[in-house]
Amino acid sequence: MTEIVRTDGLVKRYDGTLAVAGVDLIVEQGEIFGLVGPNGAGKTTTLRILATLLAPSAGTAEIAGMSVTRNPDQVRRVIGFMPDAFGVYDDMKVWEYLDFFARCYGIAPAARRRVIADLLELVDLADKRDSYVQTLSRGMQQRLCLAHALVHDPQVLLLDEPASGLDPRARVELRELLRELRAMGKTILISSHILPELEELCTSVVIIDRGQVLAQGRVADIERRLRFGAVLRVRLLLEGEALEAARDRFASDPDVASATLLDDGTIELGFRGDDAASARLLAASVAAGLPIVSFARAASDLEELFLQVTAADQPPVAAA
Amino acid sequence: MTEWVVPAAAVPSSPRMTTFARVVAGVVAIGVKELRGRMRGRRAFVIVTIYLALLAIFALMVERIIEANYSTGFGGVAINASAAIGQGIFAATLMLMTLQVAFLAPSSTAGAISLEREKQTLELLVTTPISSFAIVVGKLLSALIYLFLLIAASIPLMAAVFVFGGVGPEDIAKGYIVLIVTAIGLGSFGLLCSSVVKRTTAATAITIFGVLAITIGTLFILGFWQAMSGFDQNGNRKPGPFGIRSPAPLAWVNPFVAEADVLCGTESSFGGGWCGLVSGLVPTNEGVIFTNDPGVGIPAVPVPMPVGVPEKGFVPGGGMVAVDDLGGRRGPVADVAVDPSQPFGVQRDGLWTRSVATWLVLSAIFILLSVQAVSPTRRWRLRRGARVPKAPAA
Repeated sequence: MTEIVRTDGLVKRYDGTLAVAGVDLIVEQGEIFGLVGPNGAGKTTTLRILATLLAPSAGTAEIAGMSVTRNPDQVRRVIGFMPDAFGVYDDMKVWEYLDFFARCYGIAPAARRRVIADLLELVDLADKRDSYVQTLSRGMQQRLCLAHALVHDPQVLLLDEPASGLDPRARVELRELLRELRAMGKTILISSHILPELEELCTSVVIIDRGQVLAQGRVADIERRLRFGAVLRVRLLLEGEALEAARDRFASDPDVASATLLDDGTIELGFRGDDAASARLLAASVAAGLPIVSFARAASDLEELFLQVTAADQPPVAAA
Repeated sequence: MTEWVVPAAAVPSSPRMTTFARVVAGVVAIGVKELRGRMRGRRAFVIVTIYLALLAIFALMVERIIEANYSTGFGGVAINASAAIGQGIFAATLMLMTLQVAFLAPSSTAGAISLEREKQTLELLVTTPISSFAIVVGKLLSALIYLFLLIAASIPLMAAVFVFGGVGPEDIAKGYIVLIVTAIGLGSFGLLCSSVVKRTTAATAITIFGVLAITIGTLFILGFWQAMSGFDQNGNRKPGPFGIRSPAPLAWVNPFVAEADVLCGTESSFGGGWCGLVSGLVPTNEGVIFTNDPGVGIPAVPVPMPVGVPEKGFVPGGGMVAVDDLGGRRGPVADVAVDPSQPFGVQRDGLWTRSVATWLVLSAIFILLSVQAVSPTRRWRLRRGARVPKAPAA
């Protein structure tokens, strides 16, 4: 795999506010790369710098080996950008909209006709070819905007919150479309604050908060790394003092950072160890005669990872 | 779903296309897009028809007014009536069209960029390889092209003045040159407001205020200066406020003064009319033409001078001109160069050319500034504390 997008120490400052504070990203060709973070984390700013819409205050950003600040014209030929909020021109038909952007990329008339027909087919708007753009539904406009970003067959797609404002059905369709584009060899950078929407789709994610990268890597890698900070829930057939004694016993284990007795009688362990360590802890507990009903790691989906990583006092976690 | 592949030849690699070709391609792309919306259906053509009908009715009414004045016997010599009617129609129509250009051109460009910002379409546009220059020029031309269509459609109507005479083809050409250059100049002014000011309503308001300043404002200041700076006993002009004789360059930006100068070219007499208006507002001579200064005692030499423009068919009389190159004598106003082809000190054809030059220069400046404002990563950005922050220590 070759890397196609790279940023080094990217900084963007607006009137004293630090929107992006030293973001280092490496995206490999053919990935669907998710930028995850709460609103205002710096995702949009990062994407806009990559889209040559903003000049970084410091640091460098390269796409396909070209600097976005030094060669914006060349970069614009290899990227397709779909902003978070975008408008459509009034008084324009769907095919005219795509024709306009195809002209902007200097595509010859004959090729233009074919590209428009193929793209409308791809985004499933072929029957809307002669409709006015402003009469399309939000989901259709979103797909049309995606089609506009594809007229010049770019290598990299930069999609800022592409699923926002879409109904569930349109979301599913968009996801299918993105998978199809990935199969065609496109590299896709996609930002979202809605995590489940990225979880199934992305090959890699970067978690950004307050302009800084908190975690980056393959979803599975981050998960494995974060398991060091996992939460184990243990239910025992014990009550009262026996339960408190069991809690103290868990707390004395070197891999357990904290042991809390919850109201429902469950013991919650802040666990530092990996899977092997938790297996050892379970075996030791059973050997010690503790009547364990359940011993499980709290489910760790992207949403939870995100909450863990973005917790205020959490130090940045670097993925391998 | 089908596979779609853009053939490699379809996307021209940038080095193969010259910068000029790319700018032209961008301007054409934007022009086609804008005109598709504007020229769709019958609306545009209905408007042209109504416009021409109104202009024709206006010209006819002007003709009737001048004719009525002549028939009362106070209008002048009946032998000149036809020429006067021709000049009157030309003047009235040209001034009406100048008014139309002065307000339509900037107001049609005042939303060109800000509307794209408001509708959030500008970002889609600037991430294409189209240069900011092509965006600005494409927007300007496509906004003005409809106005140019109206101007072009009026040419046959304007040609009707040849039926009456009194106006030469070159006068009409000059008038149209001023109209078109004014449209470009004020159009680029509107475009600059549109690209600098974020909101269309604010951009339009600023543009209209600017146009009022350029038209009525400059007239008022020139009139004020004229009133404040009279002539001394020797007939020389006294300096006006702040010791400045006249802020004449202000007149260069006023399209109405430029057109008045063009209209002055059709006139055959001094003393009122458009020439009087122009020379009153913008003194082209700082001294006097007629002098009987006893201290110097140079006899005024009666020189038979052609008055007016001969081919316009009005060559009576002569004038008294005391100028330095008559017989080698240098008079009290010897430092004033008076061109014999400019009788009575009326500077003809001097002002509209300056106006055209001024507006061409201003247009170029406005367009360059607009390009800067549109360009997403522009180089010259006004910033407070414009220090590039260092990357924070890791």
